[in-house]
Amino acid sequence: MSAPILEIRGLNKRFGPTQANRHIDLTLREGEIRGLIGENGSGKSTLMSQIAGIHIPDSGEMRVRGKAYRPRDALDAYEQNISMVLQELGVIGNLPVAVNVFLGRTGRFTKCGIVSRKAVSRATEELFTKWGLPMPPLNQFTGDMMIETRKIIELARALSVDPDILLLDEITQSLSLNNRQKLYELLEKLKSLGRSVIVITHDVEEMLRITDTITVLRDGEVVGETVSSGTTADEVKRMMVGREIGGDYYRADNRPEHGDELVLSVKNLSVAGELDDISFDVFAGEILGFCGLSDSGIHSVGRAVFGLSKAAAGSVRLVARDMDITSPAQALENNIGYVPKDRDTEALMIDASVLENFVLPSLGKLAGAMGFISSGSLKRLASERVAKLSIKCEDIAQRVGELSGGNKQKINLGRWLVKDPSLLILDCPTRGVDVGVKAYLYSLMKEAKRNGIAILLISDELPEVLGMADRLIVMKGGRVTGMIDRGEAFTEQAVIEVMI
Amino acid sequence: MKKFPPGFQDIVPFIAFFAIFIFFMIASHDERTGAFRMLTALNLRTVLDQTMLTIVVACGVLFVVAQGSIDLSVGVNLALSGVIGMWAAHAAGVPFLVIPVSLLVGLAAGVFNGVIVSRFKVPSFMLTLAMLIGIRGLVNYIQTKTHAQRLPDELLFLNTPAVKTAIFIAIVLIMAYVFEFTRTGRYGRAIGENETAARFVGVPVGKMKIVAFALSGLMAGMGALFYVVTVGSTSQQMGVFLEMRVVMAIFLGGVLVTGGFSARFYKILLGSFSIQIIINGLALVNKSDALISQSVQGLLLLLILLVSSLAGKRTARGDDDHTATSGQVGPR
Repeated sequence: MSAPILEIRGLNKRFGPTQANRHIDLTLREGEIRGLIGENGSGKSTLMSQIAGIHIPDSGEMRVRGKAYRPRDALDAYEQNISMVLQELGVIGNLPVAVNVFLGRTGRFTKCGIVSRKAVSRATEELFTKWGLPMPPLNQFTGDMMIETRKIIELARALSVDPDILLLDEITQSLSLNNRQKLYELLEKLKSLGRSVIVITHDVEEMLRITDTITVLRDGEVVGETVSSGTTADEVKRMMVGREIGGDYYRADNRPEHGDELVLSVKNLSVAGELDDISFDVFAGEILGFCGLSDSGIHSVGRAVFGLSKAAAGSVRLVARDMDITSPAQALENNIGYVPKDRDTEALMIDASVLENFVLPSLGKLAGAMGFISSGSLKRLASERVAKLSIKCEDIAQRVGELSGGNKQKINLGRWLVKDPSLLILDCPTRGVDVGVKAYLYSLMKEAKRNGIAILLISDELPEVLGMADRLIVMKGGRVTGMIDRGEAFTEQAVIEVMI
Repeated sequence: MKKFPPGFQDIVPFIAFFAIFIFFMIASHDERTGAFRMLTALNLRTVLDQTMLTIVVACGVLFVVAQGSIDLSVGVNLALSGVIGMWAAHAAGVPFLVIPVSLLVGLAAGVFNGVIVSRFKVPSFMLTLAMLIGIRGLVNYIQTKTHAQRLPDELLFLNTPAVKTAIFIAIVLIMAYVFEFTRTGRYGRAIGENETAARFVGVPVGKMKIVAFALSGLMAGMGALFYVVTVGSTSQQMGVFLEMRVVMAIFLGGVLVTGGFSARFYKILLGSFSIQIIINGLALVNKSDALISQSVQGLLLLLILLVSSLAGKRTARGDDDHTATSGQVGPR
């Protein structure tokens, strides 16, 4: 067994009334890939950010290679070759990629107070090549880039310190399948160099695949440590939650089924630079899955169907109402619901209350004579549903930004379900939520299906689409490359063959 | 940092209002006569007249501010509407023509602003600043041709307190209704909170922006009517610095610059009274030194905004690590 690189003993961290970390002990060895897993609020990110110098522990000690390690801040940790990729986005939009990678450390490229853009770009290029990362245009501003690209830039920044310990907080949820593969290769490479990694991910299967050991946290405490090859996903989930998770996580049946009524018919739809000649139908009570690698255009399909992008050709026909959808306002009016991928920026008003967020899509329905909307009816709607969906919040006046990811997502999906929509577009609906909430969201989807709602399920997570969809559309480069029905050939292997 | 109790931010404007009122009431105490000059009937009527004008214009601007935009063109818009409206009434010899023409000119200017902002994505601050300068020039040019125009005698009855107050209350009720109890008001505030999220839910963002600027323009036209009725004629000074007074009223009332659900209708009533009492009080207390008045106005505004922002939840996010990162790093 290799030498320990990081030893944590008796670490405590408290935020106000919440004990986020309670007496944590952890030993990380050289060349070890450690997974941290636990429900939302179990203290994983807190633990990691203390190692990265972002938070200072209240008590307890950390040692790196036997020497006391007390980082003052993140840059201090960087200097000791410990770096972290945060869960939330941390690139500066108005700076080019290369400068972002070396942010705060451009000193060595500076001559007479002026940063040499050329030198920074060259160093960045070397960095991307060295670690086998897909290279974005280095002189472009990061603000216009996709979330995935920005995440990779952050990863490059963390790698630029040549880390002995790399901390990754929920990075895979922002990556599409092919770039996840690149990340896995990167982890292998770090391991072979004797570097250590700590990974947080909500995807238990993925964690078992990519880590050597797993530490399970619950309510701020370490409740178990296990070798990845010697355990099962169910075992890990049980440790996380502290009880058995029901077996019907995904759908139990293996047959495609749907109602007779055609809800949506998309014909030869093209969107400049995103989609090329897409056609599909979806029926009442059918879950139509979309999957593909990055740039496959699956997320564009959701936006286009909701009228958010301008169609260059083709049509999105809502058959039940016999009309073409060309604007989001029209989509809302005609009872289509849309759960976008990026919860905090595209879906929710983070600074507004639970109430305001919840009722927003229903305002048209609640308006009476002379457009009157009573605040009583809004409160009733929100508090009833918040209770029914068991959304954890102080009250409906609480700021949504203070809620956990899972509860935010319950609002995001729940506010459409109230309306009993005819069509629901779900883009990565379980992104960044823990297993408990995930299971609940799937049960909501199953219920919606039973109620005859047509669902477009767009997801970067293959098991999710396979587990829930009646039919699966595989896309590549903005085109449909395959369609598979639920049944015998509904496996990851079969899909990946079509996908690549 | 010490924590203020929840809701404290919403109380600040009230406290400020009463503090300002009591301060100037006492300061306006006349040693010689023993009366409070602020509370004389004549002075109260002046304050009320000016406050009504501020509130009427603020009713419209509130829709724009709620969306996170700003309309600095209401002052010149008011002048333009009034000047053209009065010109039309005199030229046609139909006194009542001033009403529809002023409203239409205001509305048209507002729609123009709205279309430019929503279709061409010009920041509203820049656009309305340009309008502020450009239209003022136009108004001055027209006034060199028409000079000050007297209000036709047939319309003098509008300046009786009963009629004017009734019209004012009707306007306030209608605008408050639209802002607080209809989709137009709520959608606008949603846009102020997060424009992308509003669009992704299906809020017709472009249309709502045009509506907001149109209402702002319409209310500037309405303000023009209040102005000419109260003053009795058009003038060179019409609407000068009014946009600042209106914007100050909105922010003093506790609406955030970013708009969103911090925008509430009652706040403009409160803020408008506060700002008018400041202006009036300073004039009463120190008549000889009117020049200093503006500096004091500015300082008071800064002070009140500072207090309310320190007490505000949005600044509280920076208080400590817990709230700063509660979404991601801290406990959930």
